[in-house]
Amino acid sequence: MIFRRPSCGRPGVRRLMRKAGYRNMVKREGRECAVERGGMSAKGAGFALALAAMALAVRADNRPPQVQACIVLATDAVHAGSKVKMAVVAEVPPGFHINDHNPTLEYLIPTEIKITASTPLSVESVFYPRGDPRKFTFEDKPLSVYAGTVVIGALLEVSTSAAPGEYSLQGKISYQACNDQACFPPASAPVTLKVKVVGEKVRLKPVNQDVFRRASFK
Amino acid sequence: MVGLYLINRYWIRPVTSLSVKATEAAGNRVMAPEFSLTDIDGHKLDLADYRGKVVLLDFWATWCGPCRIEIPGFVELENRYRDQGLAVIGISLDDSVDPVGPFYKEFRMNYPVALGDNKLTALYGGIYAMPTTFLIGRDGRIYRKHLGASDVSVFEEEIKELLAAKGKEEVKGFQTYGRPASGEQVEVSTPAEVNSEVPGVDLTGLTRAQVEQYKKRLAGMKCDCGCGRNVLNCRKEDSSCQVSRKIAKDELAKSTKSKA
Repeated sequence: MIFRRPSCGRPGVRRLMRKAGYRNMVKREGRECAVERGGMSAKGAGFALALAAMALAVRADNRPPQVQACIVLATDAVHAGSKVKMAVVAEVPPGFHINDHNPTLEYLIPTEIKITASTPLSVESVFYPRGDPRKFTFEDKPLSVYAGTVVIGALLEVSTSAAPGEYSLQGKISYQACNDQACFPPASAPVTLKVKVVGEKVRLKPVNQDVFRRASFK
Repeated sequence: MVGLYLINRYWIRPVTSLSVKATEAAGNRVMAPEFSLTDIDGHKLDLADYRGKVVLLDFWATWCGPCRIEIPGFVELENRYRDQGLAVIGISLDDSVDPVGPFYKEFRMNYPVALGDNKLTALYGGIYAMPTTFLIGRDGRIYRKHLGASDVSVFEEEIKELLAAKGKEEVKGFQTYGRPASGEQVEVSTPAEVNSEVPGVDLTGLTRAQVEQYKKRLAGMKCDCGCGRNVLNCRKEDSSCQVSRKIAKDELAKSTKSKA
């Protein structure tokens, strides 16, 4: 079976493997998201499921779980003086969670996005989703956490003086991962976005709509 | 997803709480690396002062839920077995002492707690997950490393075995409890390895030129751990990575062998 997917969008076997800690399958850390083409057989899917199950055993690879993240824009380019939707897509390895930006308990370390403004681009606001309430053996009440694919919306502001051309924006997602039995030191994953500024008369094409359907801008 | 749920529900979770006994092979236990710190009350905390006691050494942090659930059990163990020779020591891996003091009071901790640093965690083989708890016998050897939270009864059974040892002899036929997990094999470092230019690898036998050559080779090797760095940078930036440590050690052994 051949399928086409945005690398930060729908789930696929390679991503499942990568989530399972088998990061040499696809390595995009710090790179811009791109549409990839991949193949999957039933045997491959079974193998991936087995790998993901192994990852649930938590300590299998003796490494802290690494969140993979990237930024995508809602349009293929931007106009000077505009505000454009963008999203940070983070993939938390299966069996692990990271804390909500507004964690349930004061002692928990929140997930945060930091994007450095770089003329003519800046981030106006970040819209963190509400986490999923999950019950863990170490707390009496459910904790609000992010697990699986997390989509964090943000508004990109393009300066009115931006000349047509390509610009880049860099940032990071800071997180602290745990599972039911252990926690891992706070870590961060870099994110980079290339933004193409085009003239006002150039028509913009919507892209990454599957991601933006999941993003909240409230 | 259903498969994953079932595996987690019926295979992984039950065994983590199950008390599984296993007899460990004796004779090759490593000595617990010594350290000297100041606890959060300002008192000296030297591991050497605890020789002859059974030590439960807990690496934890205030922001770690599974660590927090274990601590009342450690308080109870300290109360129950202190007179028989148990000493619990907490090493907090928080960034600063600020959250530790209030936590200490809130949890009514009755054992010394000090702030750990990268050098200390490197001595204990790198602490990549918390809680990580070591059980050290009266002889100063490490008998068990628990990765992740365990039930207090697991620690208690093992502590009782270690307390039963009379002198400072190695405990033969030590039985472990709880679910053994990968990553619990004990790997410690020496001060020479911790302070090395390639953390975790002792370079004391090499000349300056050999060290540079070795570092150059590591810089040209990709680390398999998934960090995306070369082996040298992985060692420098993440000394807890056992993957890069093994590659670096193997590479050193290879070059030493070829010279011999």
